[in-house]
Amino acid sequence: MAKSDDGIRILQGLLVFGNVVIGMCGIALTAECIFFVSDPHGLYPLLEATENDDIYAAAWIGIFVGFALFALSILGIIGVIKSNRTLLLVYIILMLITYAFEMASCITAATHQDFLTPNLFLKQMLERYQKSETENNNDKWMTERVTDTWNKLMLQNQCCGVRGPSDWQEYLSAFRITHKDADFPWPHNCCVMDAQGSPVNLDGCKLGVPGYYNSNGCYDTISGPMNTHAWGVAWFGFAILCWTFCVLLGTMFYWSRIEY
Amino acid sequence: MCSLWVVLAFCCLGELRADQNLKPQIAAPQLATNNPTLTTVALEKPFCMFDSSMSPKKSYVIYLYAMKESASAISSLVTDNSSKPLDSTFQQTSGGQLGPYKAALFDVPNCASPPKLADAGDVNKVSDVLKQYLFRVGDDATCLYDPNFLAVCNPPLAPDTTYRFKYVLVESTEGIVKDQTLWSDPIKTRRVKLPLKIDTWPGRRSGSMIVITSIQSVLVFFLLAGLLASVSSAVMRPVNSSAETRHVSQTIQQSEPRPQLSSE
Repeated sequence: MAKSDDGIRILQGLLVFGNVVIGMCGIALTAECIFFVSDPHGLYPLLEATENDDIYAAAWIGIFVGFALFALSILGIIGVIKSNRTLLLVYIILMLITYAFEMASCITAATHQDFLTPNLFLKQMLERYQKSETENNNDKWMTERVTDTWNKLMLQNQCCGVRGPSDWQEYLSAFRITHKDADFPWPHNCCVMDAQGSPVNLDGCKLGVPGYYNSNGCYDTISGPMNTHAWGVAWFGFAILCWTFCVLLGTMFYWSRIEY
Repeated sequence: MCSLWVVLAFCCLGELRADQNLKPQIAAPQLATNNPTLTTVALEKPFCMFDSSMSPKKSYVIYLYAMKESASAISSLVTDNSSKPLDSTFQQTSGGQLGPYKAALFDVPNCASPPKLADAGDVNKVSDVLKQYLFRVGDDATCLYDPNFLAVCNPPLAPDTTYRFKYVLVESTEGIVKDQTLWSDPIKTRRVKLPLKIDTWPGRRSGSMIVITSIQSVLVFFLLAGLLASVSSAVMRPVNSSAETRHVSQTIQQSEPRPQLSSE
């Protein structure tokens, strides 16, 4: 009898510890997802225009799942300590639902990160940057946001195009339709700027003289934060789910052993 | 003697070589990396190409003629019968399709002190270096549509077309052609691809996605199986325990009446 009593105590202790860790991880997940949703790098308009912004949907789900995990962990601790069958049954059912949502968030983030390739951003940049004739309000809204984002990106990171300034020369674009190649082989934001925000030497920039134009592409500055975002949501969620799996199995076993 | 030193100086600078075939050359690719573009071509100015034909007391001007390569079958003469340079414009020759047109007019570049290309790194000197070293054909996008424009118009070229260029040395007072280079090698402007043709398919799935999805699916299966097992074991057990309690109470009831009989 004493042995099984000890065993029950150890199981209770482990479950309480497991729930404490779940609660803390839940808060961490909420905080991480709020950080990603707040878009500190200002890259959301690019994703919104590609209509491929599901890594943000995964982060939104992560915010609510994290909070739910925290609340349920408290419920679980109370249920384990009081050995209350009803509480623990409620805990198990709600935890399973939360588990399903978190699984959806992880898989969405991991899957949609695969879609973020250079060609995706290249095509969108060529089709939307400085597009002059927009069809409807939605198109106009997205075009303005894409144009502003690209201008900011090119100025702040001293880069040009997705792979390089040659993107503007190799492909036809909405920009090319309104800006003649003789004056704008590439946007003037690709030029090295002086302190007043105008090109240091416009002819040097147009001819491609080294030192007067930005020859590197912006893809790294776009993909870096987005990959961090997607991996952060996917793999941290995966880790939480693995831990929650063990705690849930333990709780189910404990629940089935409680006497009425 | 003086010209020999000049030639040696050139070789030491290593940038401008006056001993090539007398054809217009495209600007140095390490300086002008974006060349040729869709509608422009930057050519090196004719340094030291006409020195033998220039006499020191007279003043000269250089004319630049451009034509599409297809026009060489029709006409490639830049002088008329009286050795005067042709006065054709971009519009008259349909952009160089029917024959050469005059694209530019500038002073003879200084053979004795050519611009040093290394100076292009200096912000203050780069404008001068570029102006003295090269000429950009197709630079002026507005002169065709400006009715007040009186100088030589240098409109943008056509994309994906081969052009050839020629420099002509003209004596300014008499207006007679003194010398001309050969037609340059064919230079083709860029062509554009349509953005519709860009393939945005990501290719195969990444490893992380496969790992997450497969492991999570297995774990969910085990969770549901565990839930089923614990619920069914919880449902089964009350049946056994109630049978036990009934059995115990029956034995107690059976044992109770006997003491009453014995007391009587």
